[in-house]
Parts: sequence; C-alpha cells; structure tokens
Amino acid sequence: MNVANRSSRAAVSPLASSSSAATTAVKGGLVEVDMYTDIPSFELSLDEFEEFALARLKVLRKIEELKTRNTPHEAFRTALASTLKQHLPNPKIDAASHYILRAAYCRTEDLRRWFLAQECKLFSFRLENCSNIREFMKANSIDLERVDKTEKERLRSKLTSVIGAPSPLEFPSTEYYKVPFMEALRLVSNRECYLEKGMAYIPLAKIISIVEAKYRVGLSKSLVFAGHNIDNATDEEHSRIGPLLKSMNSQYTGPTQLSSLDNGEALTAANVDANARSMPLCMSQLHSGLKRDHKLKHQGRLQYGLFLKGAGMTMEEHTAFFQREFTKIMTGEQFNKQYGYSIRHMHGKEGKRASYTPYNCMKIVLGSPPSGGEHHGCPYKHYDDENLTALLGKLKIGSEGRDAIMKLKREGNPNLACAKHFEVVHGGAGSVEGVSLEGVGNHPNAWFAASRKYYEAKEGGGGGKGSLGSGSKEIEVMAE
Amino acid sequence: MGAQVEEEHEFGVNDTAADAVASKTKPINSVTDFSPELLSIYYSRLFPFELLHSWLSYDPSTLTGNTTKQLAGASILSRREFSTTVQIHGDEIYKRYQSFSTQADIATAIRKQNPLKIDIGAVFNYAPKDHKSLPGGKLQPVQRELVFDVDLTDYDPIRNCGCSGAAICGKCWKFMVMAMEVMDAGLREDFGFKHLAWIYSGRRGVHCWVCDEGAREMGNDARSSVASYFEVSLASEKNKNAHLPHPLHPMLRRAHKILEPHFISSIIPEDGHGLLATQASWTKLLLTLPEAANPVSIELEKKWRSNKHHSSPAEKWEELKAALQSFIGKSGNSKAPKNVSNSDKLKIEHWPIETVFKYTYPRLDINVSKGMNHLLKSPFCVHPKTGRVCVPINMELVQEFDPLTVPTLRQLMNELDEYAGDSVGHEWQKTSLKGAFEHFQKKFLNPMLNDVRKSQRAEREKRAAVVGDF
Repeated sequence: MNVANRSSRAAVSPLASSSSAATTAVKGGLVEVDMYTDIPSFELSLDEFEEFALARLKVLRKIEELKTRNTPHEAFRTALASTLKQHLPNPKIDAASHYILRAAYCRTEDLRRWFLAQECKLFSFRLENCSNIREFMKANSIDLERVDKTEKERLRSKLTSVIGAPSPLEFPSTEYYKVPFMEALRLVSNRECYLEKGMAYIPLAKIISIVEAKYRVGLSKSLVFAGHNIDNATDEEHSRIGPLLKSMNSQYTGPTQLSSLDNGEALTAANVDANARSMPLCMSQLHSGLKRDHKLKHQGRLQYGLFLKGAGMTMEEHTAFFQREFTKIMTGEQFNKQYGYSIRHMHGKEGKRASYTPYNCMKIVLGSPPSGGEHHGCPYKHYDDENLTALLGKLKIGSEGRDAIMKLKREGNPNLACAKHFEVVHGGAGSVEGVSLEGVGNHPNAWFAASRKYYEAKEGGGGGKGSLGSGSKEIEVMAE
Repeated sequence: MGAQVEEEHEFGVNDTAADAVASKTKPINSVTDFSPELLSIYYSRLFPFELLHSWLSYDPSTLTGNTTKQLAGASILSRREFSTTVQIHGDEIYKRYQSFSTQADIATAIRKQNPLKIDIGAVFNYAPKDHKSLPGGKLQPVQRELVFDVDLTDYDPIRNCGCSGAAICGKCWKFMVMAMEVMDAGLREDFGFKHLAWIYSGRRGVHCWVCDEGAREMGNDARSSVASYFEVSLASEKNKNAHLPHPLHPMLRRAHKILEPHFISSIIPEDGHGLLATQASWTKLLLTLPEAANPVSIELEKKWRSNKHHSSPAEKWEELKAALQSFIGKSGNSKAPKNVSNSDKLKIEHWPIETVFKYTYPRLDINVSKGMNHLLKSPFCVHPKTGRVCVPINMELVQEFDPLTVPTLRQLMNELDEYAGDSVGHEWQKTSLKGAFEHFQKKFLNPMLNDVRKSQRAEREKRAAVVGDF
C-alpha cells in the first residue's frame, strides 16, 4: 500500500513540497484546491504522521458536524475556512494528512463512504473558492475546450433554452466549454446542458460539478484499490504504522477538557448524581434508568459507561458507581463476576486493551433503537412523539421550548433538537464565559462539558455539588 | 409494460390466451404461419448467421471471410452471452450463459436447439459458458450495445384505434414510426452516435441497438443518463400535473418539430386516432386545457358545434393554437388579459406542446436501456406468436415500414419453393427478406466495421509509435 508507505518512508526528496505543485493551487500559504493525484514524497516522523492525520480528522469531523447541523451556506464557509487555517496550514500537512487518512479509511465500505463524503465536500468548498479555476483545470489536464465566440452566437438560442441557463443579460459574459458528454452525465440526465455530436456545452460555473464528479470517482476508485491492497504492505511497514492506521478512525478529537472536569473536581461515584443535571437527555435517561432498575442492559452500559469515562470518571469510580447500584439487586460477587470484566474492558484493561472512545451522536442515532427495559439510544431519534413530549414536560421544560424541540424532532433532526434542548435549559449560555457550544448536539460529552461550565459560571465555581438547583430536582423527578 | 417484459425478458414460460391474437387486421393462423418444423427449416436455410456473426464479432476481417487470425477466447464474440428459449415437452426452458467462438459454433448450436427465441446479452470478461467454473462475482460484463426498447403496449392509454395489448394495426404502428424518428435523430445529433440498428421486434415494438464503440463501453451510470435524457414525464390520467419544464430543451424542441406533423396527420383526424374528429372527442380534449383558458374552450366549443362550421381536424388544431396564443397575448394584435397569472400563461403556452407530446412522444421501456447486463431479443429471430421475422428497419424508408407485411415463416417457405432465379450466395436472397437483410449489411454493418478497422489501425499506429516499431 504505497499510499501509506510513501508518506512515512524516509524518502529524502529535495522536491518535497513542490512535487505536488502541478496539481495544487496554493495561495497565501493555504491550499486552495488539490486533486491529490500525485503522491507526495517527503520525510515524516511517526509523531508528525499521527499529528497531521489527527489534524485532518478534525477538519473532516467538523465538516460532518456542519453538515448534520444544516449550517447555512455562508456560515458553513466561514466555519470551514477557519478550521482549515487552524489545522491544515500548509500544503505539506494537507497532502500528507490526506494520504494517511486514505490509508486509514480504505479498510471497510463504511469508512470509505464516510471519508469520501467529507473529502468531496472539502474539495468542492475549495474549488468554489479557487481564484483561478481555469489554471487549475489546465494543470490537472481536465480536457475542456472553450467554445469560441462565433460558435457561441450560433448556438445562442439553444444554449439559453436549457434549465438553469444564464439569463439573456448574463449570457454575453458567460464562458462556455464543451466536454465529452460522458464527463457530464449528471447534467445530461437532467437535460441541464445542450448536447451536440456527443459534446456537452456547459457554462463555466457548472464545470465545477464535473470536476467534483471526477474527483469523487477517482478518489472512490483509489480507496477501493487501497482497501484491496493494504494488507500487502511489507511487514516492516505494517508493524510501524499499521496499528496507527487501524485505530485512526476511532481516535477522539473532541475538545480535550472533556477528559477531566476543569475545576479539578473529577467525576466520581459520589458526585455523579449531582452532575446528572448536566447530562444530555440520552445520558440522563440512562442515569435515571440505572437508579430506578439498579441495572442497565449491555448497550446501555456501553453508551453510558463510555460517556462517564469520557467525562473523566476513572475505572475505579466507574466500578464503584455501578457496583453501588447493581448490588441493590444482586450480591457483590455476582456483580464482579458478571460486570467487572466489561467495565475493565471498556477502560482498556482487558482483552485487546483498546481504549474505547465515548459514542458520538452519530453513532448513537444510527445505533440500534432501545427495546423494552433498555434505556440507551437517542431520545430525539428513538422515542415516539408522545413519550418525548411527556418526558420533556416532566423535566419542566416550558411549552414554548417543548414545541421548538418537538418540531425539530419531528423534522428528523435529532441533533438540532438536542442542541435546542441545551439552549432552552441553559438560558444565555452562548454569552457565558468559558462555555463552548462546539459539539453540543453532536457529542454527549460536549453537551455535558458545556453544561458543567455553564453552572459553574452561574453558581460561582461550586460545580453542582450539593446544590439544589432546579436541575437536581428534575433528576429526582425522573429517578422516582 | 408487464406484457412487454414477458415478451422480451422473462426467463420462463409465457403463454396467455389474450396474447394469441396478434393482429387485428390479419389474424395470424399459428398453424400455418409458425411451427417448430417451419422454424427448423428457417434456421437451417434462411437465418443469416453470417450477418449475426460479423456484427457481434466487431471484426472487419469477417467482411472478407479471412478470419484465421481470430484468437479463440480473446475475441469479443467468444465472451458474448447468448440465451435461448427452447421448448421441451411443452415447457419453455430458458438457457442462459451460452457462448460461442465461431460462426459455425453458433449455427450448430442454434440448429440443434431450434430455439423459439434467441437473446443477446453483454460481452463479459470471461466466456460466459464457463460461468460455473468461475468464482462467484468474477464474471463481469465489460461491453454492451446501448439498447432501446419501445413497445406498443405502453401506448394503450392513448391508442384509440381499437387495438390493445399485443394487437396492432397501421394506425397504432405510427407511434413506433414517431418514436424511431425522434430517437434516431436524438442519438445521432445529440450524442453523435453513428451506428444504429433498428429492428422490428416481431410483434408490436421495435428495438434499437447503438453499436458505436463509445456506446458499447458505457457503464450503467452513463446508460441511465442517456435514457433519462430522453425520458419525459407525460401527463396521464394518473398524473395530471406533469408539465414540461420551461424553457423547452433543444432536444424536446426538435422532437416537437418532428412530432407535430405526425400528430396532425395521424392523431387528430377521423382516420387516425380521432382526437379532434368528433364532438365528443374534441370536448374531451378541450377539457384538458388549463382552467385559466376556459373562455377559449367555451368559445371554440360553441363555434365548432354550430352547424355552419365544417373545419377539418387539422384546421381545428390550428384554430385552437391561434386562439390560445391570442388569449395570452402572444399574437400581434391582442393584449393579454389582466386576470391571467404568469404561471397560467406559461401553462397555456405549453399546453399545445404537452398535448402533442402526450399523444406522440416515445414511451421507452427505460429499464432495458439502463443495465449493461440486460438481455434483448436478437435480430433475425422469429416471433412464435406471429411467425414474423425480426427484420432490420430501413430508417430512410421508416414511414413505409409495415409490420403486417413482414414475411412470416409460411410465406418464406412458399417463396423458397417458388424461387426460379439464378443461384445465390445465401438462400435468404431468394426471399422477401432480401431487401431488409441487404440493407442491414450495406447501411449498418459495413460502415460500422469500416469504422472499427479505422480505429484499430489508429490504435496500432499509436502503439507502434510508442515502441518505435514501424
């Protein structure tokens, strides 16, 4: 799998960063747009290898997040531009990280699809921004023939009787290109271009969609190819970077403060009940389920356990907390026998010793829905309208907030509904210092962290400990 | 479409009593026009194996008969799937994945099986006959003509000549002529395809085989795109709100130019489908006008009903169009009424075009075109229900093609018996198949193989230039 090899090999090349110049448009140090057709060849340390990959992963996950939130076009562009500047500041990191993630995401159909979707979005964002698209096309040998003036005039009435054609006012300044119709299949099938003798006549703006399609096809093919060949990489390469690549997709890139509570107060078996008011609905449902039934089914233990771990609860505290609840209906010995292992496993102390990451919303939403006696899943996805409304009512969320949340839920936007929930119960959170709304509605841990910060600021550093805010009352209601 | 699927693609038995009535004007007597015995004679004396072989080989050397350099297994022909429908003890059995490497192989197998139908599938990466010894999923289609299938059963909602299902008459055959003209022009002018073979399907439809190299190498996505390009959602009983998009795409404008004369000559008159021929029919048509055009329809209804008025259907159509134009203020001396919205105006403006399309635009069986791996009945077969040969259609004389005069097996046997001329190279030259077959050879096969030869030569020279070996 040379994609991976090359980027990590000690290939000392004086051409390092300029080797990809032919297909890359660079402006002001930032990559404008890259088709990634030339495999870069430069030296990377293993640390850089991982660092670059994680940097790109943050960008791609940001894209996914912006997409799931249905971010408006302009806001999307601004957010993505700043993320890019922060994480992929130069062509070297950009190219290297792209190829490393290709290798990491080629292994299964699901990974490939995810990677392809985000990368294509990134590509089209960059292409739209590109200041000299024609130069870029030329460099990438995309075969475009410009339609000359006389021909354009001859075809005027035909070119303008196509859906989406430029208006008569715009027509004179619109540049047309002709490409073989096979390059413009989407436009052909929708009759969005004029065809003559096998050539599609297309205004420059629509050429972009063609280049995108080309990029998608190329990337998709090479991902499949890489997927088939990744195991043929030499043993030496495999042992060095194989494990890195394999774990890449499960690396956690969210805000780092999630792993511990900022004020030094760790989440423990003792304070978890008080902190339940800061949990998003999915987790507070699991929490109250656990308090009520004194047990959780497998999926629930995983979803909730990893969340607690992500929120900074240690394995010992995790065990203590679960033991406290579970032993109300079983003996300590039974608990240890049946559940001890899986808790240790979750913390990477058993089996293959993998450190599991907390579930993000995508995983919870797409996961299997809860059935009788189970409390896992996403309430905004898996509960029916009636149950959810009743639940929100129990939580004393006013009818206005409830209606707003339910509207988003009914529209099939669980992430937005959840973010709305946050907004409703944390009035003015956006303006509270130290509260980051990033990831709220996309990761339960982000919700939790933001909520903790919020109460901390409101209540003056006391955390939730012992205070009888309205939040704790809610939890009591639910725990009945 | 269901019945059509049965005819073309079902992998099994097809036999319904209703299908047995194949022609209204000239009932087919299946005893005399078709029988396994007659079919067997057809395969042994008349079936043009040389044309089929030459075509499917895509090898110019087959023209000269000098085919020695053929490498078995590597040739396009040997990787082509043939499927046959054979009758054994009254059961129809569908045999897929057959392949042959020479003309003699094809002829031997066909003569031995005496199939009711031969289907042609894709060219695969391996010889399909070895499919059982290949690991699953290994056999993949790599090439296939782009095919189109139009069938009269899809026109049932608008056929007003008394025919339905498998029955056809000269009036409804006009739909096929219109479809062929529109598709032929579109495929040639828009897509630049040159090598199109139009074949009568033996009963109530036509097939088109686009054989250009570019077309044969298209993937499924490209086939879908081309098919969708031609697909128009037409207003029907079920979907009254299907409207053509505005502006009208150049392809549709051309189609309208081809179709409107046909609409006037064979859809609206009494001796056609009578759309504007009687008071009942024009009232029905006027009812399909957009509501905003009610004043026009009331006025025309009154005018046409009065005894003094004796305009022909064609004059009525022109009158109707002119009335609509002036109603929306498009003609010189009138101004648009204020109470008609722009979207209504557009609807009214498009109505005549949409009406023409509704009654004339090709109704393709799109699924046949979309897949590389879709089987389609071979040309030169004989339709068991009609006994007629699936003959190539000469597009230059497409208006004169009459499916009801296509020779049947019985007729061909008589012609063979009665032939008294000179000896000929092929026995089909003694029969009325001569014109159609020779046209296929001269106007389709030869030019296509010449193009293949040219591109092979260019390829050789390119290769030679690369290795410096001239």
